[in-house]
Amino acid sequence: MSKRTKDVIIWFVTFFIMLIICLPGLWIILSAFRPNGEILTKPAIWIPQNLSLDNFRAIFGMGDNVVAIPVGSYFRNSLVISTTSTFLAIVIGMSGGYAFARFQFPGKASAFLWIMLSRTVPGIALSLPLFIIWSRLGLIDTPFGVILVYTAINVPFTVWLIEGFFRQVPHELSEAAQIDGCTRWQAFWKIEFPLAKSGVVSAGIFAFLTSWNEYALASQLTRSTDSKTLPAGLMDFTAQFTIDWAGMCAMAVIIIIPALILTFLVQKHLIAGLTFGGVKG
Amino acid sequence: MKKIRQCLREHSVPLALLAPAVIIILLVVLLPLIFSFYTSFTNYRLIKPETLWQWIGLRNYQRIMGDWAFWVAFGRTVLFLTIALNLEMLLGLGLALLVNRITWGQRVMRTIMMFPMMFSPILVGFQFKYMFNDTIGVVNNALQSLGLTHEAIPFLVDRWLAFFSISIAEIWMSTSIFAILILAGLFAMPRDPIEAARVDGCNNWQVFRHITLPFLMPFIYIAMTIRSLDVARAYDVVDVMTGGGPAGRTELLWTLIARTAYDDARMGRANAMAYVSILLSIFFTWFFFRKLMQARKHLGAF
Amino acid sequence: MAEVSLKNVVKFYGDLEVVHGINLDIAHNEFVVLVGPSGCGKSTTLRMIAGLEDITGGEISIGNRVVNNLPPRRRNISMVFQNYALYPHMNVRENLGFSLKIAGKSVQEIDDAVNDAANILGLAEFMERTPAELSGGQRQRVAMGRAIVRHPDVFLFDEPLSNLDAKLRTQMRTEIKKLHQKVKTTIVYVTHDQVEAMTLADRIVIMKDGHIVQVGTPLEVFEHPVDTFVASFIGSPPMNLIEGTINNNKVTLSDGVTLPIPPKTGNSLSDGQKVIYGFRADILMPKGHTLAKGGQTADLDLTIDFAEPLGSETILLTKIGGVEIQAKMHNPRPVKEGEVLTCELSIEKSHLFDAATGRTLKV
Ligand SMILES: Nc1ncnc2c1ncn2[C@@H]1O[C@H](COP(=O)(O)OP(=O)(O)OP(=O)(O)O)[C@@H](O)[C@H]1O
Ligand SMILES: [Mg+2]
Repeated sequence: MSKRTKDVIIWFVTFFIMLIICLPGLWIILSAFRPNGEILTKPAIWIPQNLSLDNFRAIFGMGDNVVAIPVGSYFRNSLVISTTSTFLAIVIGMSGGYAFARFQFPGKASAFLWIMLSRTVPGIALSLPLFIIWSRLGLIDTPFGVILVYTAINVPFTVWLIEGFFRQVPHELSEAAQIDGCTRWQAFWKIEFPLAKSGVVSAGIFAFLTSWNEYALASQLTRSTDSKTLPAGLMDFTAQFTIDWAGMCAMAVIIIIPALILTFLVQKHLIAGLTFGGVKG
Repeated sequence: MKKIRQCLREHSVPLALLAPAVIIILLVVLLPLIFSFYTSFTNYRLIKPETLWQWIGLRNYQRIMGDWAFWVAFGRTVLFLTIALNLEMLLGLGLALLVNRITWGQRVMRTIMMFPMMFSPILVGFQFKYMFNDTIGVVNNALQSLGLTHEAIPFLVDRWLAFFSISIAEIWMSTSIFAILILAGLFAMPRDPIEAARVDGCNNWQVFRHITLPFLMPFIYIAMTIRSLDVARAYDVVDVMTGGGPAGRTELLWTLIARTAYDDARMGRANAMAYVSILLSIFFTWFFFRKLMQARKHLGAF
Repeated sequence: MAEVSLKNVVKFYGDLEVVHGINLDIAHNEFVVLVGPSGCGKSTTLRMIAGLEDITGGEISIGNRVVNNLPPRRRNISMVFQNYALYPHMNVRENLGFSLKIAGKSVQEIDDAVNDAANILGLAEFMERTPAELSGGQRQRVAMGRAIVRHPDVFLFDEPLSNLDAKLRTQMRTEIKKLHQKVKTTIVYVTHDQVEAMTLADRIVIMKDGHIVQVGTPLEVFEHPVDTFVASFIGSPPMNLIEGTINNNKVTLSDGVTLPIPPKTGNSLSDGQKVIYGFRADILMPKGHTLAKGGQTADLDLTIDFAEPLGSETILLTKIGGVEIQAKMHNPRPVKEGEVLTCELSIEKSHLFDAATGRTLKV
């Protein structure tokens, strides 16, 4: 077999696998535009007969058949909670990551280990005591309560990633900048931060995706439109007697689209982030 | 005491920088865990607050140790993780090698490869629940339209088929993490050792076995470590797909905890189980982290 | 005016004392080189002058101003690092202009100063490249350019040439010397290479284990080392050192050979005192191949173990008192191994050190 035919075969095999990876998602997206009636028909209708935005209208409370699920509020909650907790996790992660990368202090290694270990606690295991304590503190069903939790579960990973990136920046650069007239603070923002930026960006994406997609904690710590996020809200559909498949598909599309856009925008940083901070660290 | 104060003063800058991270983790993770550790020794029930003070010693732990359902769930969880992690690793390796080979359209393929990483676990669960549904699922529909079967196959009901289905979902969700990291390893791979091995007369398989694979091992363990940090994401998938049912046939440790805590309202016992699940997570993470360190040390000789 | 002076400067890392109270006065426009073996505290001393390390004790002043508590940016110094520490995300122009930009200088001023520096160092054609696109020597030049644009009071160099290959190193050494002549400034230069120290310095400061052992011009430290450490550290090949005992106003070596006591040695010698006899290869030469005459000499018959011809001279390896030593032969002729040559040792220029302390016994 010539090298060329081999290459072509490999290309098609890869393409086929990619298709398999994509199909489930595409199927959901397609279903989101089909009416429930068509989805439920037996035998199955393979060629979509009528595509429309009706399902989206319905879950946002517009149009004829209204779904009693406040997806608009869930979306807003998700957005507020994810962006705020990502921002906080990044700030805290930068501060902690910088400390680990640049300073020697007693107990450094074990501090790092314990921070990482805190991340291994399964969400559901953490949700039990948090549920009780947050109820006592009045934090149950508040965006603030969820933000606090998401920030905490994101911090270990942001610290780790960002630490790896700062460690790649030679400390002489900061010293050179200080000799060139910078304060330590200026040296950080003008020299060290720009050089570690892709680490910060990728840490931010991971934190955002984690918060945006989190379910185990959100399903216990949120109750109402005050704080319920999209993933927790998705279960509203199944709580009823009949499952509104089309509505769920439409909501699934709403959950996935921001994540998709964000990831594609910063794809380059994402790969750099995973490989640099993680592997070389 | 004086020594501690002097130490604090000497290292005030890093300690101050580290403080926010430590404080929030103490507040949101450690403090609740201490509390739940305490409640795991009580007969705490959510509906009866006064039971919080009912100290029952190790009884919760004794109960779950003697609870057959718990051990079945535990065994199933370990089996599930072992199968899922290994298959994810193998598939990810294969996928990375394929993508590394192709040149035309590699960027697009790489992007598609990352696609599942953006999916919320709960979406993955929903997606497969939808596809494996016995009346309207696309898989059953396809099999029937092709005439392969006339009966609907109960993917989410049958004991082994349901286990198979949740494994598929889990593997679909997490293979890309392995693929991406291994691909990064392949990109970072130096050419010289491969060329030297070829000169020494190695064939393709030998080159892979003796040069490429050892170089990739740290990347594989990194992926394993990252994965084991949140193995419990599988809870979301299973919760929406089967909820651990039907009749506990897909019950994993995490769904069992959720049911015990929130449906049966036995917080104390659930917390005892939760500690077992934490230990499980720590074990997996620690295991792969150690492997990672060994592989790195080994690679230092390269 | 920018004198630098160190008074009893002490540095502790935790409980570890790495600089033990050193005193040093550096004159305006003087080129001082700190030299010593690895780990002796050169970098630490330099970094304390720069303000990159806290000073545990003592006082450092620059231009009559005590700078102990001033941050680096307020000391008006610039520094060239061993790895250059160029900012990777800026091109050469931005690298050179960074300090002026921070100082809030106008665009015009920055441009002028940057172009000046670029011309002095021959960097004009690389201005738009990033550090990654430069060769080692070019990076080195950018690092120096970055140091000179600000016209600082003091230049600090920390082993700036150690990452260059041998040829480039020699070339850059000359350039640094020229640079000093062009932009008259006080320079403190750290190296562990004694050749660099000898060629560059107005004055050499030799350090060991956190102490200053000797301060002097290159010739002074070469000709009058205060102890065996300096004697063996400075000069190439290192000084020959042979242990012996004082006996009847002579030095008896272990194999019974006796050598006269060098003149100018203090007369506090007592019989039986252990000493070390020291002389450089240049003053032990086969008869008929000597350069300068005069002064007291001693003749020795030496068996040559090995000869290394270098062209204009030949290094001879032989043994005196059981110790391997080196001699030199000018206007050389071929020498066979095992050949016995009568050599002339200049007693005048030899040194005597105390065996116990290693200190010189010269007055
Ligand atoms: N941050 C530090 N913490 C503890 N000890 C240190 C630290 N930095 C340096 N030392 C110690 O201080 C001593 C002097 O170090 P210094 O860097 O000044 O040596 P040096 O003379 O520059 O050597 P080299 O020629 O190898 O650069 C060494 O023994 C070193 O181990
Ligand atoms: Mg040094």
